[in-house]
Amino acid sequence: MTQQVDTLTASYGDKWEGVTTTAGDPTLETESVFVQMMSSNDLWPVVLGVSLIIWFVLLFFVLRLERRLQQAEASTHSISESSTGSTTTSNSSTSPESSSS
Amino acid sequence: MSKNREFGTIFKPGLWDFIILNEYKLGRMTPKTPTFRLAPWKWFTMIWMTVVLVAGFAISIPRIPILEESARNLFLHVPMWFTMMAMFAVGFFFSVKFLMSESLHDDEKASAATMVGIVFGVCGLLTGSLWARFTWGAWWILSEPKMNLAAMSMLLFVAYFLLRSAFDDPKIRARISAIYNVFAVTSVPFLLYVIPRQLPSLHPGAEGNPAFSEITAPELRYIFYPAIIGFILVAMWLFTLTLRVRRVADSVDPHGERSTGKEV
Repeated sequence: MTQQVDTLTASYGDKWEGVTTTAGDPTLETESVFVQMMSSNDLWPVVLGVSLIIWFVLLFFVLRLERRLQQAEASTHSISESSTGSTTTSNSSTSPESSSS
Repeated sequence: MSKNREFGTIFKPGLWDFIILNEYKLGRMTPKTPTFRLAPWKWFTMIWMTVVLVAGFAISIPRIPILEESARNLFLHVPMWFTMMAMFAVGFFFSVKFLMSESLHDDEKASAATMVGIVFGVCGLLTGSLWARFTWGAWWILSEPKMNLAAMSMLLFVAYFLLRSAFDDPKIRARISAIYNVFAVTSVPFLLYVIPRQLPSLHPGAEGNPAFSEITAPELRYIFYPAIIGFILVAMWLFTLTLRVRRVADSVDPHGERSTGKEV
């Protein structure tokens, strides 16, 4: 018959055992709220914070791509307008002199 | 005036494209910078997904043995697969449309949707593997049919892009890849849903191990359904961005490798 040993309760307790505090207080009560929170197992705000950072960085790159695409689309649109205008109209803005100035 | 007309008749438009493009490249001409505008649905997507993300971590969920806090992965892992299926369905629609219309724009859309679908499929595989490590004890279980068939379905779509790269003629490439895409998309429901449910599996959905069902806590549903909507909106945004990047690339270099934007 095998005897079951509880190896989880200590590992997954509410506080990390053996943590050393600046005041030498093993209960962490003298530490700041931030240290108390980071030393607990209730770390969902940290996970949320990291996830939000990743999300906002992704958004930053997507928005930057949007902005650059709008510029590129405007450029290619004006190029096509210029090249079409040079053959069909005599508009001075699309003339070789003005385009190379 | 007449001089301009003379230039217009002597020089072909292709040459002017080249000259003007180089003027832009050399910085002698600056394009008109448009004011940055974002469509309302994109603002909505940003806010929606941020709220989903915050609420997904902040709400209290029932403590389920083994799953514990990892149950929150339901808000990421499952919507990613749903989004992948949605994008593959979009790809399927445009592949069929191409086969009827023969318009290369439809092939371009099918390819872009499939590419975005693969991105979400890979994210689904990664989040699934992470979840498996926490609940089953291993990153990958070779005897687990759902994992293996999900990876196999991804490889089917990787093969779609390999197939596309094998043809130079845009028309032939579009036709063959459209036919292949129809085959690949129709096989996905069987690989991801039908076959895994017939085999013994650790994954929810197998016999005696219900998937998302009537026993699922309502708190999870409050985030789960909005997450599906949010991820699909993000995928549509990426889809439109991919298409626009390709169109700009085609207009800058119409005779380059990426010439699928034009009718042949």
